[in-house]
Amino acid sequence: MKKETKFEDNLAELEKIVNELENGEIDLDSAIEKYTKAMHLVKECDDKLKRVEAQVNKMLNENGELEDFEVEN
Amino acid sequence: MNPSKYLTVSAINKYLKVQFERDEHLQCVFLKGEISNFKGHTTGHLYFSLKDETSKINAIMFQSYAKRLQFSPTDGTKVLVMGRIGIYEATGNYQIYVEEMLEDGVGNLYIAYEKLKAQLQKEGLFDSSHKKILPKYPNRIGIVTAPTGAAIKDILSTIKRRYPICETILFPSLVQGDNAANDIVRNIKKAEQYDLDVLIVGRGGGSIEDLWPFNEEVVARAIYDCPIPIISAVGHEIDFTIADFVADHRAPTPTGAAEIAVPNLIDVQKYINQLKIRLQEAIYKDIKYKSLYLDTIKNSFVLKTPMVLFENRQQQIDIINEKLNQLLLQKIDYCKLKLDTMKNHYLLKNPQQLYIEAKKQLKIIIDKLQLVNPLNILNRGYSLTYQANKIIKVVEDIDMNKDLSIKISNGIIEANIVKVEEIKDEERN
Repeated sequence: MKKETKFEDNLAELEKIVNELENGEIDLDSAIEKYTKAMHLVKECDDKLKRVEAQVNKMLNENGELEDFEVEN
Repeated sequence: MNPSKYLTVSAINKYLKVQFERDEHLQCVFLKGEISNFKGHTTGHLYFSLKDETSKINAIMFQSYAKRLQFSPTDGTKVLVMGRIGIYEATGNYQIYVEEMLEDGVGNLYIAYEKLKAQLQKEGLFDSSHKKILPKYPNRIGIVTAPTGAAIKDILSTIKRRYPICETILFPSLVQGDNAANDIVRNIKKAEQYDLDVLIVGRGGGSIEDLWPFNEEVVARAIYDCPIPIISAVGHEIDFTIADFVADHRAPTPTGAAEIAVPNLIDVQKYINQLKIRLQEAIYKDIKYKSLYLDTIKNSFVLKTPMVLFENRQQQIDIINEKLNQLLLQKIDYCKLKLDTMKNHYLLKNPQQLYIEAKKQLKIIIDKLQLVNPLNILNRGYSLTYQANKIIKVVEDIDMNKDLSIKISNGIIEANIVKVEEIKDEERN
């Protein structure tokens, strides 16, 4: 599952919109439309980072399956 | 005996020292031998001697060189050394000042390393153009290292600290010993089947023999051919294995590899907040700019006092009116003037003049008429003969049966024809 690249795409698009708005040659309507979309992206990226899953560490065992892996410390 | 020709001991030793220093062969000597009566001094300087079957030489290794040793020398270790040979004046002994020392068994490993490195370099496996770019926000990281030991612990704890939202898969592998190389290759190949964003391949610190699997050609080629971007993390900062040259990115240590592989969550959050602020500022500035612009338009005189437009028109109309009146007046004056002049005209003043004039004109015309009047001739006795209202000029015109009317100066005679006689040309004149 490529969940992360989605995050990466969101961030790239967010950066693009911010640059576009910053250099200003954009009509008001699309500026507002882009702004709302950008704020949505901000929220999505933030949620992604906040939703801290317990770190998932797996290990490939002898018979080729992934099993959970804990570091014995 | 002349006492002045005898040298002192220190003079002779000094002389010999200079002789040794002048001889460039002795400045960089490669020596093979076995360590004996080794004494490590508290200052870190190492004192020992090197011997072979038949001979021995004193050796000293200063702390600054000794700290770079990759093994701990003891009596009996076979070593390869590189250094300078000189005399210690105080004792008159000569010794080798050792700068580099390797375990002899290691010697040929070192040679093999250099050979492989040169070969792969020539093949272009080290070219930076082949290095793949590491993803900024990896989703799933593969790790090929030993399942136990510091390396995997450091990697996982670093990832957990910096970027816990990403997943890791460990491909447990031997990292030392003869079949470690194949095991590493096998695990790299296996890792390729998983949807990994980056792969960390490495191990913790160790001697050159310990790290040797990462200098094997098979491992180097497996890393080079792997489509997943690879971060190599073999040994300590100073260890450079072939794997490090071939990998897409070299990390000094396993922890370093994890720090390179994943961004720091806090930094990412800060960055996103920054974007948010820049976003709000940008849209605020844009709207402010546009509303100001709108204000200027609103204040423009045209909208503020639209009457201005009409005033202009009004004014124009007035001007035109005025001009119109003027023209009219002028016209009237002109006509009046013209009328006056006409009135004063000589004729109007004395119209009889016209009459006289006309009378004169008339008279002239009458006189002219009189002159040309064909009837005048009648006054002189001539007469006009008509028949059926047609003037008779020649006898041929005459109709015997009709009467004639003869016009004389003061009357008309009606007559009928008795006889007609034609007069020939010659008689007529």
